Amino acid sequence: MRRLALWIVAALAVAAVVHYVTLMDTPGFIMKRVMMKMGEANTIHHQGRVTAASRGVVRPSPDLLYSVCPFDLTNGALHVTAPVPPGTYWSVSLFDAQTNNFFVKNDKDAKGKVDLLLTTPYVDVKRPAGAQEVVAPTPKGLVLFRTLINKEEDFAAIDAVRRKANCTFIRSHAS
Amino acid sequence: MDCPLRFLLKLLAVLIIGTALGLAATWLTVSKLSIGTVSDGPWRTSLLIGSAQSGPYLRANVALHGLLALNRGETMYYTADHDSAGGWLDGNCVYKIEGREPSARWWSITAYGADDYLMANKDDKWSISGETVQLKSDSTFIITASPRKAFSNWLPLSQRRFSLTIRLYNPGAGVVNDPANAMLPTIKRSVCL
Repeated sequence: MRRLALWIVAALAVAAVVHYVTLMDTPGFIMKRVMMKMGEANTIHHQGRVTAASRGVVRPSPDLLYSVCPFDLTNGALHVTAPVPPGTYWSVSLFDAQTNNFFVKNDKDAKGKVDLLLTTPYVDVKRPAGAQEVVAPTPKGLVLFRTLINKEEDFAAIDAVRRKANCTFIRSHAS
Repeated sequence: MDCPLRFLLKLLAVLIIGTALGLAATWLTVSKLSIGTVSDGPWRTSLLIGSAQSGPYLRANVALHGLLALNRGETMYYTADHDSAGGWLDGNCVYKIEGREPSARWWSITAYGADDYLMANKDDKWSISGETVQLKSDSTFIITASPRKAFSNWLPLSQRRFSLTIRLYNPGAGVVNDPANAMLPTIKRSVCL
């Protein structure tokens, strides 16, 4: 009887360890998969219109145009620039490797353009003049641009402006 | 004293059972727990989506249910998988979504299939927004979510299990401060085909 109790305790201990490890790994695992789907790091990827065939991220909005830059700041920083399309909702948001949204700026805050230097405390890069510095909590993550197609007839103009957004990698002096 | 083979078999059983229990506990706590949610009628929203939360349960929950979502000061997301009477949404039925325009700079209602992606339909129509909705003379609207084409404000359904999401971009302060009283539209089941 005592031996059976020991085996049950051992099984529960294994369950606790598996539960803890999988729980802690869930956000990072999900984000890593999403980043791999998005494409090459430190490069902007302008996605096409969301349709029923879109399988990038669950519950996408068919009214938005998405552009993404998966980032890897291990050896440098990312210079993020974009003009803001006029007359519609637009935002740039930054997510860390644990899926946390650590920065967002919309068209009203941006006043025509954004110019960000996404960096970590561990790299030393030549800073572009005028860029707002944003420190990422983790070296890897995602920059996500959302542009609302508020009027179908404005689609071509909105799409042309959002495609001017860019993500440029700046290599660290030390690397 | 167990023979070595019997001991190894018991050890293997402990590892398998323990792993299964651990995975089941993770799945249950992450996928089924509604941590930090509030409801406004049939619509539910998580107050944690888009925010950096401490604690592994909250973090995993947000990662699974609100991936790449914005914080609620920027955007609020309400989801419904039940109608206002409490019944599961059924893609073989006709639903009337009635109400006033929500307090936000821009809003939309989107229908999703059971896999959380847009449902294929011949009209390539998946949402109705503040820009596209046809309002009545009293500034209210009725959206018809149904498998067959409706006269106006039609939201096509092409799967049996579906859910709806309302997005409020730059929501009004009243909604942000009191998300359980956002005055969101009702969802009433009409007929089933």
